[in-house]
Amino acid sequence: MARSNEVNLNECKMVVPLNTWVLISNFKLAYNLLRRPDGTFNRHLAEFLDRKVPANANPVDGVFSFDVLIDRGTSLLSRIYRPTTAEEPQPNIAELEKPVTAAVVPVIIFFHGGSFTHSSANSAIYDTLCRRLVSLCKAVVVSVNYRRAPENRYPCAYDDGWTALKWVNSRPWLQSQKDSKVHIYLAGDSSGGNIAHHVALRAIESGIDILGSILLNPMFGGQERTESEKRLDGKYFVTLRDRDWYWRAYLPEGEDRDHPACNPFGPNGRSLEGIKFPKSLVVVAGLDLIQDWQLAYVEGLKKAGQEVKLLYMEQATIGFYLLPNNHHFHTVMDEISKFVSSDC
Amino acid sequence: MVLYDSATLGGSCSGSSSSSSSSKPPPLQQRQQKQQDIDGFLAGAGYRVRSSELRKVAQRLERLETAMVNSPADLSQLASDTIHYNPSDLASWVDSLLSELTQPPTCPSEFIMDPVSNQTVVSDAWTTAEPHMPQVHQNISYEQQSLNNQLTVVPAMEEDSGIRLVHMLMTCAECVQRGDFSLATSCLEDMQGLLTRVNTVCGIGKVAGHFIDALSRRIFQGIGGGSVNGGSAYENELLYHHFYEACPYLKFAHFTANQAILEAFDGHDCVHVVDFNLMHGLQWPALIQALALRPGGPPLLRLTGIGPPSPDGRDSLREIGLRLAELARSVNVRFAFRGVAASRLEDVKPWMLQVNPKESVAVNSIMQLHRLLGSDPNRNSPIETVLSWIRSLNPKIMTVVEQEANHNQPGFLDRFTEALHYYSTMFDSLEACTVQPNKALAEIYIQREIANVVSCEGSARVERHEPLSKWRTRLSGAGFRPLHLGSNAYKQASMLLTLFSAEGYSVEENDGCLTLGWHSRPLIAASAWQAVSDGTADFPA
Repeated sequence: MARSNEVNLNECKMVVPLNTWVLISNFKLAYNLLRRPDGTFNRHLAEFLDRKVPANANPVDGVFSFDVLIDRGTSLLSRIYRPTTAEEPQPNIAELEKPVTAAVVPVIIFFHGGSFTHSSANSAIYDTLCRRLVSLCKAVVVSVNYRRAPENRYPCAYDDGWTALKWVNSRPWLQSQKDSKVHIYLAGDSSGGNIAHHVALRAIESGIDILGSILLNPMFGGQERTESEKRLDGKYFVTLRDRDWYWRAYLPEGEDRDHPACNPFGPNGRSLEGIKFPKSLVVVAGLDLIQDWQLAYVEGLKKAGQEVKLLYMEQATIGFYLLPNNHHFHTVMDEISKFVSSDC
Repeated sequence: MVLYDSATLGGSCSGSSSSSSSSKPPPLQQRQQKQQDIDGFLAGAGYRVRSSELRKVAQRLERLETAMVNSPADLSQLASDTIHYNPSDLASWVDSLLSELTQPPTCPSEFIMDPVSNQTVVSDAWTTAEPHMPQVHQNISYEQQSLNNQLTVVPAMEEDSGIRLVHMLMTCAECVQRGDFSLATSCLEDMQGLLTRVNTVCGIGKVAGHFIDALSRRIFQGIGGGSVNGGSAYENELLYHHFYEACPYLKFAHFTANQAILEAFDGHDCVHVVDFNLMHGLQWPALIQALALRPGGPPLLRLTGIGPPSPDGRDSLREIGLRLAELARSVNVRFAFRGVAASRLEDVKPWMLQVNPKESVAVNSIMQLHRLLGSDPNRNSPIETVLSWIRSLNPKIMTVVEQEANHNQPGFLDRFTEALHYYSTMFDSLEACTVQPNKALAEIYIQREIANVVSCEGSARVERHEPLSKWRTRLSGAGFRPLHLGSNAYKQASMLLTLFSAEGYSVEENDGCLTLGWHSRPLIAASAWQAVSDGTADFPA
């Protein structure tokens, strides 16, 4: 049985391409330096090390982006990505918020990952991912720069997601021509997937229509130690210790991992039976140690009669969707594209 | 108000990528990456690693992990104490960490602002164990950041009038570029009318008003512009001082430059700082105090301050010098001051600075180099002349702070658009300041810049801001190489922000340089340079 800090480098090098291994190992080691044992976080160093990219109103490969301040009070920024159109290959500076012209334009509200603590909407890896989503789904992508832990605990990230959802839903320029409504999807990876779920819950309660939820390696957990956690601890870039740290940083002080934010179908969770929850696409990496929680999430949805499609990528590790150099990446991107276009 | 980033959208073609595959950088960057065999996927994630070195970097990462696992040290403490440089260069970052883990932690000198006394204090860190300077990694920057990449951040539109104002400003500017002054004039009238219906106290209304004024000036007075910077030296200094107080841009500039200069002077006993624009000498008390507290004692410090001649017989440069000397005396730093009066930087000759060959020299330029970019086809370009004599001084360091904007493009509409974005963001950030009269006078300071960018041409247009990417090319070509600003400078700058300013400001690391911006749009960039010692210019890779 692997101890948390026993490092099994050879195994994970076999299953991912070398450049992916370099990228994720780099993150892993850098993140190790940032987390302090007392639960505080070296935010300055984190921001210094994070590779960021500016928005670019000039289209690159048919996608342009610009940042918008959605809420002054919380300094909530979002980066909007839009596809260029045949009629408008070069957007006009005064018209970046020009109304979408197609009959149906999916608007994907994206929550980046980072275990509630790392990364930003303008992190290079997420800027790249969002651009891909635009091209893939012919969608507008709104990447939310939510407040992070440990400085901002639950429910700040959900509150920011909710603020962003309301904002998106109320933009006339995002309404599809067909029905003058904004066609909204929620998406996120890791903690972003968790946020997507909870924002979807709030949306249902408030009557905002969500067409679908895309959860990439969503971050869930619980008090119990599951079989996958024990088996995979420390093997593929992630340890139980670091997972515990991030939950302690995000959840309210004194709460354990059976808090519904972490464990939505656990002892403190609620059943979604009878609720009109959006259809979900859940991607689980077979080498992710928290997969048992992710699979439990899928079961929870199914038991409540909700529509959910599980994509279990056996040999995939965390972060496989960051670089397009493996077949899991392409499989998942295809599925996402189908998931989003099936409402057209 | 919504304003988006211009990035030369308004008119001329700006080289957007024509490639068909996923997310590739603009063509020039691509070619450079290919030439240097840089892994394209990692580049997309912000890291520069040669494909041929991937395996080596992977091995180093493995070693680093093992070292981290086996290290008895508290890793997070180690991380805090270490100075990190240029994280994009993954190989060297990993190496520097590896060497940290195998030798005692460094104790860098640090500047901190004491929130109580508002004075800079040097941190205790280096009064403990034997301090030694952290490794400085001299990495040449391979990439050329696309000039098209600029940040766009704006609050959501509050009223339609705002959008219309922006439209009309653009239309007017376009008319001006085309030479259609009668249409431009009627645009102006429409805009004046619209202004009365828009809130001009803040937001788009306020900055639009300044741009409308600047356009009027251009249309009616011609591009000689009258004397936009017509204020006396005294007025300029006053406005500058209030701009310094009202927002953190100049404090960041001074702070970051001082940190770099302090590090460069480590171990040197005779040091000479050349300040390209002394003003009230606001930058120097902090450096004097930090030098006073240096272990091993302060060096002999000479300061040469360059500034415009005083009209009324006062020698204001000397007065500032005397005050600084007084301060230096009070902290036991041997100090000598010399003032060099010149109306233009290009009129300064190196012999006026009287640099002693035994001294270590620091050249400090806060928003001055761009003034040398005005072109006169009949003369040698002033920037080249000045950079060349700076180089001849063989300075230990040259600190350069410039506005992070592309206000020197040849096309008027492009410049106008860029300025509209830049200054609305800057005005937006000023809203966070509530202290008067700082804020009002700071606005006038900025307004003068706007007027110069928009309504002047030729030698009258001195506000020729260029972005960091252009300065990198220019300085590399002139025989300088970058000295990277590290995580300690980053951290100090971030802390400075929390002490002094509102939420919304952000410091970012950009390939060894630091930028300060508002809501993720960088507005000012600080960098440090050293002359390449072999006497030949360094061509950009």
